[in-house]
Amino acid sequence: MRQPFFLCIALVALTVSFSPVLAHHGWSGNSDKEFELSGTVESGVSLAGPHATMKVRSNGQVWDITLAPPPRTEAAGLKEGVIPVGAQVTIQGHRNLDPKKFEIKTERVIWKGRTYNVYPDRK
Amino acid sequence: MSEFMAWLQNSALGHAMRESGVWTYAIVNLTHILGVATLFGSVLVLDLRLLGVWRHITLAAVTEPAIPLAASGFFIAVTSGVCLLATKATDYIGNPFLYIKFPAIGLGLLNVVLLNFLPAWKERKVRNLTSREQLQLAVAGGVSLLCWLTAITAGRMIGYW
Repeated sequence: MRQPFFLCIALVALTVSFSPVLAHHGWSGNSDKEFELSGTVESGVSLAGPHATMKVRSNGQVWDITLAPPPRTEAAGLKEGVIPVGAQVTIQGHRNLDPKKFEIKTERVIWKGRTYNVYPDRK
Repeated sequence: MSEFMAWLQNSALGHAMRESGVWTYAIVNLTHILGVATLFGSVLVLDLRLLGVWRHITLAAVTEPAIPLAASGFFIAVTSGVCLLATKATDYIGNPFLYIKFPAIGLGLLNVVLLNFLPAWKERKVRNLTSREQLQLAVAGGVSLLCWLTAITAGRMIGYW
């Protein structure tokens, strides 16, 4: 029984050695700097997985706004249809490091003086 | 590829995945993991046996539970996986891990088909295998382990791209 036991340990070690390279899901591809964008809602909040999304138009450019996972986004008060299309919003978060990708991993959405904090534990 | 992804995303399945509650994706994701765990768990035991571990247990005794479990796990993983993909299929166009994952699954399935053609595989229930036949099965077991480990690793990385 000793041989299979060590083989299993070796397999587990091999698998584990793959994992620590990666930082938290998603954020590593985005800038460390805080980023703010103001614009109008192009398409409203969608609570589809894996992350809730919306689109915001600013200076003619449509940005992909990535929010928290659906249950967490909804818990922050950001339900589908709450902010209407065409509304003026401010997005705070971190933009994609690829200058050709107009995407923001969002921490907060501000609309009519109300802040929807989808990642309250992030600064 | 992009036409297929757009079609899948706009299908009834895609709409259902996006519009049926905030926990839907998470629950389907859980189902996918259970399917993958069932598939890989049984494949791991079978492949290690083919590679020569636990020789005192007959191959037939290992294959009897391992094969139906692997097949059910595969079916669960594929059906839930299609649902996950349909949610935002076009988002995955150009994701390199997708182009590693699906060929790895294809090779894994091809390996299953080839294994089924080996006389040694059919004879496992009726007689003891020669060392040459055991070696053939060990190669199939090694290829299988490599394919499914690659598929799972690439699959896990899709979301981190």
